[in-house]
Amino acid sequence: MERETPADPACGRFAALVHDRVDGTLEPGLREELDAHLRQCPACRALDADLIALRRAAAELPDFTPRAEVWERLSQRLAGEIAARPRHVWTGTRVALAMAATLVVAVSASVWFIRNPAPAPQASAAPSGAPAAGVIQSKDALVQDVDEHLRIADEHYVKAIAGLEQVVKSGESALDPALAATLQKNLGVIDQAITESREAIKTQPNSQLAQTSLFEALRQKVALLEDTVALINVMRKGDQAGAAKILGGLSKS
Amino acid sequence: MAMIPSDRTEATRADREIVRRCRRGEPGAFEELYKRYGSRLYTVAYRMTGSAADAEDLVQDMFLQVYRRLDSFRGEAALGTWLHRLAINTCLDFVRSKQGRRQRMTDTVDDLEALEAPAAGPWRPDAALDRMDLERAIAQLPPSYRRAFLLHDVEGLEHHEIGEALGIAEGTSKSLLFKARTRLRTLLRGREFGGAAQPARAAAAAGEAGRPGER
Repeated sequence: MERETPADPACGRFAALVHDRVDGTLEPGLREELDAHLRQCPACRALDADLIALRRAAAELPDFTPRAEVWERLSQRLAGEIAARPRHVWTGTRVALAMAATLVVAVSASVWFIRNPAPAPQASAAPSGAPAAGVIQSKDALVQDVDEHLRIADEHYVKAIAGLEQVVKSGESALDPALAATLQKNLGVIDQAITESREAIKTQPNSQLAQTSLFEALRQKVALLEDTVALINVMRKGDQAGAAKILGGLSKS
Repeated sequence: MAMIPSDRTEATRADREIVRRCRRGEPGAFEELYKRYGSRLYTVAYRMTGSAADAEDLVQDMFLQVYRRLDSFRGEAALGTWLHRLAINTCLDFVRSKQGRRQRMTDTVDDLEALEAPAAGPWRPDAALDRMDLERAIAQLPPSYRRAFLLHDVEGLEHHEIGEALGIAEGTSKSLLFKARTRLRTLLRGREFGGAAQPARAAAAAGEAGRPGER
């Protein structure tokens, strides 16, 4: 334990140097002078030890955990923020839609050909069973590949629809209640078509008709939701002419 | 606690993944970000304001800003560093707006007190510095001292960074830190715990109302 001694008036200057040393900013030329002073001054030695302990303790202070209610309140505020800024959802939705459309176009042309191939050459023409097995394996792999692409396209459609539904939900209050009810009814009809197509695919996995029906229903749902979002936007702006134009298009579809 | 390099790389990878998921609007991603950094940011706010209620409001404000600005995060600095800066700036804006005038008046008095020469004496030589004592002593510092001490010794900012953040000269930051440490040293020696600090101790004994939980 350092013995308490009266502070030397000269210690004021050395105290500043002690702070610098603890912070690692002491000029090299002053080190020897400070060391010499510390050897003969218990008060400054005590200061040096104290500041080292203080810095270490300060750097090791633990964090506090906020109460659970803080996240609850924050998540509520975030929900409000997200509802007020549907742009992010919309951007993600567009990406999902673009990916879905690309995948469907890329694979749909080959589906019929793969599932209904031209008659295979006579097996006897092959010198052994290996090449024929190879052809069969290759075709199966291709079918699996197409199925996988269609599954991914389906996922993208579902994601895009979820995004659009979120936008519609956040802005539904801008719509006339009767119109909103009609839109919901139409969406219900499309949902029914989607469900039936999925059921058909389950029982007939190779049915191109069921696959085509499913994607057609998904496309219809996307189109209706997109029109609804556009309608919400023009209603919010009070653009009656724009709203009438969209409604005209909706009645024709 | 300092991370070893492999931990840091792993943390950086995890941070990038969280940012990516947040930007895509994946459910639960932002909550994960909050769980990862909420305590750190809350602690900055709590120590800077000295109030659990203010810290709770501030940490929400910080994360709302994070949500709004996440698209502008380019990854040039580590996510933790970016969030830390945002937290400190949010806290400084808050204390400037709330305590400006009162703080300036207090500082004038405290500047005079801190000019006293540091007294030598026993410094808990056989035991580590008690962190609860340190927290209490920090809370008793005048706001400008507390900010300089917290930013430098606790949060690890350099004096030029503190100068920029507080709008003061680098030399002023050094001077405030010097005075803060001098005052802390005096407080931790127990000289003021018997007098001015009694209410703080009484509050601590009564269950420290308003004090947040520790991790």
